[in-house]
Amino acid sequence: MDVLLALTISAVFAIGVFQLLRRNLIRSVIGLSIISNAINLFLLAAGVYRGEVAAYANAVGQRSDALPQALILTAIVINMGGFAMVLSMLYVLSVRYKTSDSDEVKGLTH
Amino acid sequence: MPTDILVLLPVLVPPTAAAVAVLLRSHRRVQAAWAFGAMLTSFVCSSLLLWTVWSNGRPIVYQLGNWPAPFGISLVGDLLSATMAVMCQLVLAGGFLYALGCRDQCAQYPAFYPLFLMLATGLTGAMLTGDLFNLFVFAELLVFSGAALTAVSDDKFGTEAAYKYFYISFVASIALLLASGSLYVSYGTLNLADLAQRIAADPSPPLVLPAMVLLIIFFMVKGAVMPFHFWQPDFHTAAPTPVHAVLSSVVVKLGIYGFLRMTTLLFVEQAETIRAVLVVVGAVGVWFGGLGAVGTYDAKRMLAYSTLGQLGFILVAIGWGTPLALAAAIVYAFNHSLLKAAMLMLAGSVASRAPVKTAAFAAITGLGKKLPLAGVLFLLGGMGLAGIPPLNGFVGKLMLFSSGVEAQAYLPLAAIGLAGIVTLVYVFRAFQRIWWTPLPEDVKPKPYGDRLIAPALLIALSLALGIWAEPLINLAQATVAWMATPEWYVRAVLGG
Repeated sequence: MDVLLALTISAVFAIGVFQLLRRNLIRSVIGLSIISNAINLFLLAAGVYRGEVAAYANAVGQRSDALPQALILTAIVINMGGFAMVLSMLYVLSVRYKTSDSDEVKGLTH
Repeated sequence: MPTDILVLLPVLVPPTAAAVAVLLRSHRRVQAAWAFGAMLTSFVCSSLLLWTVWSNGRPIVYQLGNWPAPFGISLVGDLLSATMAVMCQLVLAGGFLYALGCRDQCAQYPAFYPLFLMLATGLTGAMLTGDLFNLFVFAELLVFSGAALTAVSDDKFGTEAAYKYFYISFVASIALLLASGSLYVSYGTLNLADLAQRIAADPSPPLVLPAMVLLIIFFMVKGAVMPFHFWQPDFHTAAPTPVHAVLSSVVVKLGIYGFLRMTTLLFVEQAETIRAVLVVVGAVGVWFGGLGAVGTYDAKRMLAYSTLGQLGFILVAIGWGTPLALAAAIVYAFNHSLLKAAMLMLAGSVASRAPVKTAAFAAITGLGKKLPLAGVLFLLGGMGLAGIPPLNGFVGKLMLFSSGVEAQAYLPLAAIGLAGIVTLVYVFRAFQRIWWTPLPEDVKPKPYGDRLIAPALLIALSLALGIWAEPLINLAQATVAWMATPEWYVRAVLGG
């Protein structure tokens, strides 16, 4: 199970990095989103990999850690705000430059 | 009044005031007065915090929600974070004052002042927090409001600059999340004091080194340090003047603060490695920033590159790591904040007179003839940046170089000493372009521009600190004495 989780996280992270490095701005934002999901999974793994029972459960057994889950909730909310902001700025850029190719968006380079 | 509330107030006053300021959006003057009042109040609170911490001789800790230390979030005002908070609030108040007298269209938007207050919250909170994840939250708040303030700039490239800033900072935040996850796996805590204690006790977990590297990356992006600086020059070309005056001077100090904390609290055992990296990166950055500033076409972009160079000096000082060098780093950081904010405001006020609002040298050549006061201030500020006596820049440089001699680090000392001359070159090149060259006949400058009161106050303060530098140096030395004994910090936060 641990190995499966680790492989999943690394696969998601790798896909995210691949998309992040694309020239297309929209793809790179999608890559950012995928990476942040990989990080959320990583934080989850930080909490659950020893516990077998949910943190609030009154059952016998090793309880999983609730703190990383709280961290993930916070991170999800912040990331959502971040993507709203990135996408809104991307919209302005794509209207102004009529392209989503990052090489064409170069108003500031001389 | 219990003193521990003093740590909370600089973080609590600006966001509360921002919420109220949004409600006041239809009354421009009331909103401006209210928001400026809140900014000044929070500056007074952080000064009181610094005064109390310094005179009591022990850190003030506020446990949010009264949860005991390793479990809840603690806000810690020790001498380092209080000094940094005062520095930030001072320059933020100066930036706000500039925004009040600024003729930019974007400063008239109803969300401008609330966003500025949120920027203040994020920055002060990131300096005062004693929790790694809380640092992430405050850093995100800082980036969000900074990017929003840039995206609404009058400059048509504002959104492009904001996009770059936001995107790169977002990736950096991901690095910080990954670092906090790694440290949490290894030690089961995110409280900085608790982490420091546990890392010192057992540095063996395999994820400690990656966490260290990721934290270095995060702080380098925040501080616009050489290999991670890409957002910075573009950002400063396009952002509104009050915003980039704050970002280039104090927001980049979050990186400096982070490195000071990393080398003296979190990773004391591994500090030698971090320091070696910082010396190299700093010395390269000094040259890169200096030469970049010489080669630019735009006054604001020049000052942005100059920030890269000046931060290099501070990083080299942190890298030497002797008590004198650390004190020099703090004094230098304080001075650079005041001077760079004032210089950027002066460049902005000259640009506000140009027929088309830009700070490109081609457009502002000779405009200074109408602004003799700005010329005097720019000359003084430039002398301060280059380290010529009457201003506080000289004190910082003197301490820095003598600490280098003391540490017997002659190679980096020679490298950054030579690069100091480059500062002189670019500052006086800009001065000569703007104030000495005659105004071209076909250019009609605008009769009104941004007010000069904020840069005048900041330069006056730098002059005062240059002539009477003793309090600042004493403060820096006391701070270094605290940093040398991280046990004080740990004991103050965890109790016992």
